[in-house]
Amino acid sequence: MTALAAAPAAWPAAVPAEVRADAPADLSVTLYRAPYRSPGSLDLDRLGGFALVSEIRTVRLPAGESRLRFEGVADGIEPASAIVTGLDGVVLEKNRDAALLSPRALIDAAAGKPVQLLRADAKTGEPERLPGRILSDADGGVVFETAQGIEALRCSGLSESFSFAGIGALSAHPVLSVLVQSPHPVSRQVTLSYLARGFDWTADYTATLSADGKSMDLGAWVTLANGNGVGFPAAHTQVVAGRVNREGADVRPLDAGGPILARCWPRGSTSDTPVLLQLTGALSRSETARAAIMPMAMLAAPAADAQHVAQEQLGDLKLYRVPEPTTVASRQSKQVRLMDRHEIPVEVIYVAELDSGAASVAVAAGRRLRTRNTAAHHLGLALPSGSVAVFASHDGMRLLERESAIQDLAVGEELELDAGASPDVRLSATSETADADRRANRVEIRNARPGAIRFELRLRLPDGARLIHADHAAVTENGRPLFRLDVPAAATVTLRYEVEPAPALKNPR
Amino acid sequence: MSRSQAVSARLARLAWLLWPLLNVPAPAAGTPPLSVTIYTDDLALVQDRRQIDVKGGRQRIEFEGISAQIRPETVSLSAHDITIIEQNFDFDLLTPAKLMEKAVGGQVTIVRTNPSTGAETREQAEVLATNGGVVLKIGQRIEVLRDDGLPVRVIFDKVPDNLRAHPTLSVTIDGAHPGARPATLSYLTPGLGWRADYVALYDEAQGQIDVQGWVTLTNSSGATYQDAATVLVAGNPAQAGSRPVNFRAPAPRSSLQEAGTESGSRDRVGDYYLYPLSQPTTIANLQTKQVSFLEVAGVPAEHGYEFRNRWLGTADASGVATPQSAKSTYSFSTSAHSGLGDQLPAGVLRFYERDRRGAPQFIGESRIEPTPMGSTLSLATGDAFDVKVRASVEKRTRLANLEWQTDMRYQLTNALPREVTVHLLQEGLRGDARLLSESLKSTRRSAEVAEWVVSVPANGKTDVTASFDTRY
Repeated sequence: MTALAAAPAAWPAAVPAEVRADAPADLSVTLYRAPYRSPGSLDLDRLGGFALVSEIRTVRLPAGESRLRFEGVADGIEPASAIVTGLDGVVLEKNRDAALLSPRALIDAAAGKPVQLLRADAKTGEPERLPGRILSDADGGVVFETAQGIEALRCSGLSESFSFAGIGALSAHPVLSVLVQSPHPVSRQVTLSYLARGFDWTADYTATLSADGKSMDLGAWVTLANGNGVGFPAAHTQVVAGRVNREGADVRPLDAGGPILARCWPRGSTSDTPVLLQLTGALSRSETARAAIMPMAMLAAPAADAQHVAQEQLGDLKLYRVPEPTTVASRQSKQVRLMDRHEIPVEVIYVAELDSGAASVAVAAGRRLRTRNTAAHHLGLALPSGSVAVFASHDGMRLLERESAIQDLAVGEELELDAGASPDVRLSATSETADADRRANRVEIRNARPGAIRFELRLRLPDGARLIHADHAAVTENGRPLFRLDVPAAATVTLRYEVEPAPALKNPR
Repeated sequence: MSRSQAVSARLARLAWLLWPLLNVPAPAAGTPPLSVTIYTDDLALVQDRRQIDVKGGRQRIEFEGISAQIRPETVSLSAHDITIIEQNFDFDLLTPAKLMEKAVGGQVTIVRTNPSTGAETREQAEVLATNGGVVLKIGQRIEVLRDDGLPVRVIFDKVPDNLRAHPTLSVTIDGAHPGARPATLSYLTPGLGWRADYVALYDEAQGQIDVQGWVTLTNSSGATYQDAATVLVAGNPAQAGSRPVNFRAPAPRSSLQEAGTESGSRDRVGDYYLYPLSQPTTIANLQTKQVSFLEVAGVPAEHGYEFRNRWLGTADASGVATPQSAKSTYSFSTSAHSGLGDQLPAGVLRFYERDRRGAPQFIGESRIEPTPMGSTLSLATGDAFDVKVRASVEKRTRLANLEWQTDMRYQLTNALPREVTVHLLQEGLRGDARLLSESLKSTRRSAEVAEWVVSVPANGKTDVTASFDTRY
C-alpha cells in the first residue's frame, strides 16, 4: 500500500509587503481594577485587573496591500479589543499570533523542513554539520533524520543541536499585525489602543487618629502594578475607579515558548536507586512581595510636598491622572500619592450586632471611626476602594491599630473605618423569658475605659418579628432597631427589650 | 442516529445549500482549494479541494495539514469514480520513546564512540524491552543501553507506519480508472470559532455613539488554513434547542429590550445570517484575526441608570449599611432610520468615552445577543460611582399563614452635579404579589418585576417606599 501525500493545489495570492511600525513615540496607560476583587491590597502574583494602552506610532506604508506589524505590545493584550486609528487606507484585518520566538517555537516551525544537525566530535570537539530534517517534535521529544538514518535528539550522550535557516515570522515580543490597503505611499502617525490583562491598582489609605481621638489625618497612595513582560516608559498614566463590566471572554494566552525538551526513551540504568522527589521550600514571590509592599503602605509618612494625582469625571467613573509621564516598568508595582487630608473630625463609636433572641452571648464591642465624606469634614472627594491601615498616636509614635478596607465612596456618603475590637467594652446578652408570643432579653454593656463612650447596638430580628417594648429609645435604621447609648466611664448600662415573634404558622387543616 | 450524527447530517445539508450562494470573487486560477464555514460556537465545516492521483486499484491517501481536532466520524471524501474502503485517523505521535517502543523485537544500529580515540564502532542490536530503561541484545550479549553513561547513538532504519508528527487522516480508496482528479474532503472540527466585537465611542454632550463592528476569528484547531474562502454563519446548529431552562434562577439581565422586525440585506440560509469574507484569508493556527463588518457614526444613544433589587434584598444584610451602585446603561436602536441599521451577531460591545484631554478611555463592556434589525438595546457597562441605592426591608408582617406584608424603602443618592433618572426595579414578585401602596407610581413590567422611574436631583437624594402583599 503506497502512501501518497495529496498536496493542496497552487492558489495564487498577492503577498503583502511586510512593514514594521516605529517604536511608540507617545504612550498612555489607563489602569482598571479587577472588577470583582474585594477591596484591599494587591496580590502581585494574580493581577486580575486590566489596562487600556494607547500608543502613537509612526508608520510608512507603500502603495497597495501591506502587513503592518506593531511589535512590543503588552503580552496580556486582548487582540479583539485592538483599535487602529489614523490610517487612511482600509484596515482589512487584524491578527495576533500567539507564538513567541523561543527554542521550542523554532523547532516547531522547522518541523518537516531542512535543518543542519550540529554534533561535536567526541575526540576533538570539532562540530560536525550534517544536513537533515526534523520529523517530529510531538510531546517534547525530537526525532530527526539524516543520511545515516533516524535518530532522537540528545539521547546518545553526544552534544547535539540544530542550526536553523531563519526565524520565520516569530518575534521576541507579542506582535499585532494589521493588513491594510493604501492607495498611495503614506507616512503618518497612527494610534493603536488595546486592552491588556495583567494590571491592577488599589488605593492604600493610612488613617492616623489624633491623641485626643477627635480627629484623624487621612492619606492615601495609589498602588498600581504591571504584571506584563512589557514596560511602558514615560507613559501618561491614569487609573480609573468604579466597577466596569467585563465579559469573561477568554483570551488565548500567549505561548511564551520554552526550551527544547528533547524527551528521550526511558533511560534507567542498572545502578539507579529510586529517587524521591524533594521539593524545596522556596519563598514564593507573593510572600516576598507582600513583605516588601506592606511596609511601604504602612510606613508611608505623608510627604509634605508629595505630588497628588488629579481626579476627573469619566462617564460614571472617576479617572485619576498621574501629573507627569512616568515609567510603568514590566513586573513592577509603583505608588503615587492620591490624597492627604488633615484634621478630619471623627466620632469614635463602639458597636455590636446581636440576634434579638440571643440566649447567652458575651462579646467585645467593635470600634469604628465615623465621619462624612463632605467638605465640611475636610473631605468631599470620591474615595476609591482600598485597604485602610488605622494608626493611633501615642507620645509622638504611631501604632497600628487595625487593617481593614473601604468600598468606593461617593461624596456625601458616610465613611466608617473599622478600628478593631475593644476588649475594654464588652456586652453580654441574656434571655429572661422566652414565651411563644413574647421574648424578653437583657443586654449589659460594661465600659472599662477611663472615658465615656457612645455605643450602638443593632438588633437582628427574625422574619416578621417586631420590637414591642424597650427601656431605652430605639430608632429604626434599614428596618432594624438601633439603640444609641451613652455609657459613662467605668460603668455598666443595662438594656431590656421585648420582642414579639411573627404569629405562629397555623395548620391550615 | 446519534445526536452528533444528526447534527453532522444537518450541517452537511446546510453546507450544500451554502456553496452555490458563496460570494467569493474567483480569480482566474479557479476556486480556492479550501473553504471554511465557521459557526459561532467553536465549530467549523472545512472543505478541502485537492488533486489526487488515482493509481488504479487499492491505495491509501494521507491528508496532511488538517485540523488536529477533526471529528473523524464527520469526514467525507468525494471524487469521481472512486470507492472508499476505509478511513483512519492516526493520533499516535512520533516521539523518541514511541520510536524505541515500536522497535521492540526489531533491529537497530548502535554506534559507540571511544572517548579517548574517537573511533566509532557500529553494531546491530535487537531491542528487547523499554520498560524503565532500554535492554538490548547485541549478538549473544544482553546489555542496558548507555548503562555506563558513555555516548551511544541509536540509529533507526525507518519510522513505523502509524507514528506521525501530527494526527493524520488517511483514506483507503479503490479507483477503477487511474489518473489525477479533483477530490473534496470535508469534515467538521471544533477549535475554530468566531464572534463579533464592537467598539462604541460615546459622546455625552451629543448623546451619540460611533460604532465599529469586527468579526473575531480564533483558531486553535492545530492547523493553518491557507487562503481559505471563509464564510461565517451567525448561528449555532449544534446547540439548537439543547439549553437547559432553569425556572428557579432569576432571569439574567437581557440586553435586548425589544426585538426588531426589520429585514436587512445580509445573506441568510434558513434562519442563519451569513457573513462571507470578501477575499480568501489565511487563518493561522493559534491566531486571532479580525475583519471589519460594520461602521456607523452618530447613532443616538441614551445614558441611564438602573438598579435591580432582588426580593428581600436589604442593604444591611452584612451588618454594614452599604448603599449599592446603580448600573450605568446605554440604550440605542439597531433600526435603519435612527440606529445601527444592521442585525448584530452575538458578541461583546466595548464602550469608550473621551477624557478631559480628548483621549478615548474604556468605560465598560457588555455582551449582546444576536439582535435583529430594528431592535432596542440597553447595555449595562458597569457601576456608577456616584449614583447609589440603599434598599431596605423596613418591616415584614405576617397577615395570614402564607400571606406577608413587606414594606420597602429605597433611598437613591446622586453625587453628580446634574439630575439623573434611575430605573429602579424590584424583582422576584412571584405568585400573587400586589402593591398595597407606593410613594411613586410604578409600572409592572411583568408579574415578576415592578419598575419605578425615579429622578434624583443633582447632589441630592430621593426616597421611594412601597408596600407589597405577597401570597405564595
